[in-house]
Amino acid sequence: MSEQEMKQAGKEKKLKKVTKKSLRAMQRTKQHHPIRNQARIAKYGAKGFGRNIWLSTAATVVMAITLIILFVTVVASVILTSTAEMMKDKIDITIYLKPGLSEKVLSDLKTTISNDSNVKSVEISNSEEEYAKFLAENEGSDEIINILDDEMKALMLSKMQGTMRIKVYNVDDLSSIKKIVEEDEEFKFYVDKEKAPTYDVNQAEIATITSWARIARTGGIILAAVFLVISILIIFSTIRMAIFSRREEIYMMKLVGAEKSFIRGPFLIEAEICGLIAGVVAATVSYLGFEFMAPKLANYGIDVKVITDILESNKLILVYLAFIGLGIIIGRLSARLAVSKYLNKS
Amino acid sequence: MILLDSVTKKYPGDNSPALDSVSLHIEPNEFVFLVGKSGAGKSTLMKMITKEENPDSGKIIIGGIDLDYVKKRHIPGYRRRLGVVFQDFKLLPRRTVYENVAFALEIAGMSGKEIRRTVPKVLELVDLLDQAKKFPHQLSGGQQQRVAIARSVARQPKILIADEPTANLDKLTTQEIIQLLKKINDFGTTILVTTHNENIVNNLQKRVITMKDGKIVNDQKNNGIYNLDATPIPKAPARAVQMPGHALKKPVANNQTMGQVKAPRRKVI
Repeated sequence: MSEQEMKQAGKEKKLKKVTKKSLRAMQRTKQHHPIRNQARIAKYGAKGFGRNIWLSTAATVVMAITLIILFVTVVASVILTSTAEMMKDKIDITIYLKPGLSEKVLSDLKTTISNDSNVKSVEISNSEEEYAKFLAENEGSDEIINILDDEMKALMLSKMQGTMRIKVYNVDDLSSIKKIVEEDEEFKFYVDKEKAPTYDVNQAEIATITSWARIARTGGIILAAVFLVISILIIFSTIRMAIFSRREEIYMMKLVGAEKSFIRGPFLIEAEICGLIAGVVAATVSYLGFEFMAPKLANYGIDVKVITDILESNKLILVYLAFIGLGIIIGRLSARLAVSKYLNKS
Repeated sequence: MILLDSVTKKYPGDNSPALDSVSLHIEPNEFVFLVGKSGAGKSTLMKMITKEENPDSGKIIIGGIDLDYVKKRHIPGYRRRLGVVFQDFKLLPRRTVYENVAFALEIAGMSGKEIRRTVPKVLELVDLLDQAKKFPHQLSGGQQQRVAIARSVARQPKILIADEPTANLDKLTTQEIIQLLKKINDFGTTILVTTHNENIVNNLQKRVITMKDGKIVNDQKNNGIYNLDATPIPKAPARAVQMPGHALKKPVANNQTMGQVKAPRRKVI
């Protein structure tokens, strides 16, 4: 290596050393006072929200509406499912037994059927109870006077059948119960051949309610998921448009040497404020709207209790927090994505 | 302070390079005008200095920093060492005059106390202290440019580059801005200004570098005047052109033809 080349190499080495030293010094300034930086970011975020009040309001309104739609979807799915479940719960199978069976026979039959895993509960009523039930149901009627004497009672008791009402876990599959009733020796003997058990009669009804319950549950989940995605997209687009109109600002800040986090920060804070306000507004509107609608829905036999229980307890605060949390998270994510697009351009 | 050594930049799709082996040395405390027609390469050169663009080849050293080592993560810090003024001011529209100037100091991590002390001083320098609470759209073009200058000098950079700072301003305001830049230069800041304004270049009589087709074609170190048609400085080693029958005594640059006026040769670092 010639003397000149060595001199040149020495110069380059010195330049590299000076450059690296300067760059390290720059990096140190970048890390100075993170709390002070955060305070400034928060200040400019809040100021930005106020100074862009029209854009901020528009974004907040859109966000609130989408959150309300999401709430309506989730609530509709929940109450539909619970209504369908409630109706399914009301379905029972009635097996008609021969009249005048003794308590022991009835109790044996109950034990046999209870052994089946699908059976939730069994209610049996003997002829006496059926007679009492008949009287209660027809109380005040003119005809009832005529059948109140002992002779008539004895006659009625001999005709009144004992019944067995079975509630099951799964109304879709009654084969095991059907098998016991048709094949068990005791049942074969005591079941009234004239009057068929109701599982066949209720089959169509059961199938309809079951399919509604299934549609309500799966459809509700899918619909809520779809609406969640749509909500995110709508909020994202709104925030992106708001940031698009301010992309020049991002570029200017970059040119004068602002760090990425310092540029991004105020935009995130603005979006979070939008999310916070939208969350509170949406939760309040949803709550009041539901309180207004709930009695009307209940009149139609819709089970609103699940939601009422939540909204009218101290869990209401959780509902508010969920709305606010969702608003803030979606707002922040959208703003971050939208700002990054302009921030990462050189 | 600013050193470019054989810097070449060609944008994809262009036939000729935007910068063609440009070499340039600006000393500390110099006031330099960079002139040339549109497309001559002035803006590309400015973008190289602000690290908005990277050269295809060559070396750039600004204020002792070799830009080859300035990675993406260093760019904000590097830019904070420069003062930059733009033709369209590039002020933050939703921040007041005070906040625009303070912004330059906040991003440098300066404390609130220091900022409250510095900003009024800088605004006083550009004679805008009474407009501190106004927003950029409430100011005239000249005032906006003064805010931009205040923002760029608030951190007391050693180098200030201004890309067509007077292009959008009237004659009187232009003079004001140039006087302001001169004042800043008197405080010891190196200033590089691109302009199309013949008057300000001729009046100030500072160093004038002329660019044409991506090359520096003239570099008048003192008392420079605005002259876009300066003949290119020969850069290749001169060689004798052998004419049939007799030899030329004087060497001729290989990009010159016989009979052309030859520009004085300048040492390019």
